[in-house]
Amino acid sequence: MSDLTTRETVMPGTAPGEDVLLEITGDGDFQTADMQLSIGPAHPATHGVFRIILEMDGEKVVGARPVIGYMHRGFEKLAEHRDYRQIKALVNRHDWLSGFSNELGVALAVERMLEMEVPDRAQWIRMLLAEWNRILNHLMFVGSFAIELGAITPMFYAFREREDIQHLMESATGGRLHFTYNQVGGLKLDLPKGFLRRSGELSTMVRSRMQDYKDLLLGSDIFRARTVGVGPLPTDVALSYGVSGPTLQATGLPEDSRVTEPYLKYGEIDVPVPVGENGDSFDRFYCLLGRIEASLDIIDQILDHMPAGPVNQKLPKQVKAPEGVTYVRTENPLGQLGYWLESDGGRTPWRLKMRTPSFSNVQALPYLLQGTLVPDAIAVLGSVFFVVGDIDR
Amino acid sequence: VTVLARRDDALSPEETEELLRERLGDAVLGTHAEYGTFTVHLEPDAFEAAARFCRDERVLAYDFFDCLFGVDAREEGFDVVAILYSTSTGNRLCLRTRCPGGREEPTCPTITDVYRGADWHERETWDMFGIEFTDHPGLEPRILTVENFEGWPLRKDFHLASRVAKPWPGVKEPAELDEDGNVIERVPRIGDAPGPYELDKAMAEQAKLANPAPDTPAEVEEPVHDSEEKPEPAAGEQAETGIDQATYDALIAEGKSERIARSKAKAAFVKKQRQQAADDASDEVAETESGQAVAEDAERTDTAEDSGQVLSGDVEQEAEEAEAQATEAVKQAADQAAYEQEQAAAERVESDEVDPSEAESASQKAEDKRKAAAEARARKAAERAEEADDAGDADESGDGGEDDA
Repeated sequence: MSDLTTRETVMPGTAPGEDVLLEITGDGDFQTADMQLSIGPAHPATHGVFRIILEMDGEKVVGARPVIGYMHRGFEKLAEHRDYRQIKALVNRHDWLSGFSNELGVALAVERMLEMEVPDRAQWIRMLLAEWNRILNHLMFVGSFAIELGAITPMFYAFREREDIQHLMESATGGRLHFTYNQVGGLKLDLPKGFLRRSGELSTMVRSRMQDYKDLLLGSDIFRARTVGVGPLPTDVALSYGVSGPTLQATGLPEDSRVTEPYLKYGEIDVPVPVGENGDSFDRFYCLLGRIEASLDIIDQILDHMPAGPVNQKLPKQVKAPEGVTYVRTENPLGQLGYWLESDGGRTPWRLKMRTPSFSNVQALPYLLQGTLVPDAIAVLGSVFFVVGDIDR
Repeated sequence: VTVLARRDDALSPEETEELLRERLGDAVLGTHAEYGTFTVHLEPDAFEAAARFCRDERVLAYDFFDCLFGVDAREEGFDVVAILYSTSTGNRLCLRTRCPGGREEPTCPTITDVYRGADWHERETWDMFGIEFTDHPGLEPRILTVENFEGWPLRKDFHLASRVAKPWPGVKEPAELDEDGNVIERVPRIGDAPGPYELDKAMAEQAKLANPAPDTPAEVEEPVHDSEEKPEPAAGEQAETGIDQATYDALIAEGKSERIARSKAKAAFVKKQRQQAADDASDEVAETESGQAVAEDAERTDTAEDSGQVLSGDVEQEAEEAEAQATEAVKQAADQAAYEQEQAAAERVESDEVDPSEAESASQKAEDKRKAAAEARARKAAERAEEADDAGDADESGDGGEDDA
């Protein structure tokens, strides 16, 4: 982080070879009027309708106040008016970059309340698609974070891979963003012929290109200068805010519900969890890239394990969860996604609370932005990976 | 921060409960564990102390603030649930309390001093349920809805606007319907959407009109083989009842599936019956003047329905259907007769300019006749239904029923 008070500046407008070195000295107490800078709701650095009001002292951020709710669509209310099969089309949409992982959580919650055994093959396929979905999501942030720091190329690279993966997902589910492929008790359909082979090929291909991203970003001096040491987050603060996902792992804590509370068949395979050291912007991005490679590892293991058999089961005419409550937590691409499902035994949930990762992660922004400079604020905003729909629901 | 808690010696729910009871005493109202979710019910006053204890007690070490939200508890007000997680033991705990103040002024102590993350979650709970968190640093402005929004959206007595304005298309409204698509009536209570039951009722009726039960004859465009005699069932072969055998055979020959062929043949049969009844009715018009219509028609109805009397299999149902069909056919015939009578009378009035009283008496006469005919037919239909029942009984008792008929 650069220090405002001892910055050395070359004065512009001087003749060649006639550099004037200007040194600003002192304790930084020169008068700068407090100013409010409102970023958003429509600003490229916030990718979505997210607004943050920065209290400025000169170029230094002394306070930040996120203003959310521009995309509030009342999903929790709507879910109370739809039956369990209709909900999956709703929850698909709060985090539009991780549709498959979102609907998975609701399916797991209803299945748990019905005490339903899901066929093995369905569980492995769910894992396979959830991991592809995770890579899709992370590639998006690899591209967008780089573009916010001024590097355009990684975005094109990321979209090259994203397109291939979306083709793959589309071949099985018919959707590119909103898959609605899960259903209570299994999956809508079995995988198309050749899907596993194509998955293997694509996994090899994406892995071979991971080095490109590392060279372009992690190895770039400019990138390091913009991110190393910017917006560090201590582990205990992160936990107190409920921060999860790559942002929490960057603080050095290998917390990942695929490992700590395994669901589906994650307990039977090896899930690598990348961790950072300081929890700064660089570490957050490092963990994001690491999670892509981890997902590729998981995909290769899943392909080795994939059993044959049915992928769904016959459901009663009306799916009714019995009276009671359950809380299901899954590791979404952006962090921990929790669904609190409370049923009074009817056809619709009595209460469906969506605990979304972005809501909790963004809450830590005022802490992270305190004391940064404006360009660093952009690096912080970009590295606390969030989707606005996931904040507002 | 050193924690004593380790994943391998994490406390079980029972041990956690014991520890909480030891510390908080009677403030722990109860616990329950279901579907892998452990919940502790607390007095609202002890809510913050419990959260603090869970975070600081080194064998519990609930360091991760998961979320906090409200739940509508009907007449009793609202619940607040806070979910905590321990990254060192892997345990999860739900603290649940019922807000004092009922539905009017629900309040709850804040836990923002314990967990930083509770701030926004409490603001959201206030925004959605109107629960005031005492000593919260600032619940306003509303976090998710617009600043000037009125009402508490997630309360069950806040009705979903779109559902008030327009019923859900299709009969997919998730209110309670029984197997026949009728609405199960129950005492209204908090949590009911605005009149979904009324809407459902209306929609269920609409749906019934749009999709009549498969057994009622639909308008199937099928040529009616009037002249064709019903072929005798081959010896030893179980006769198909209540269907038009010729149509059935033709459809089977065309390669249609058995089910389709049977239903179409059935429709053709019914149509044939109707046609015959209608023919009778038109005959009747001619004969009314001679005054013998009633008796003759009764006979004719008999003959017309003979073909329907070969009954076997699910006889009772068939009998009911036949009754319904016959009644309908009879009613149609009667209506047509009456209509034609009146037409004729009116024509007479117009052309001959007869005495209005005569015309009136003529129409009166026609009315009387219509009534008489309708009565006779109703009687006939009832008899026929009985016969059908008898035939059914006979059929059930032995093989002879068919031959007898």
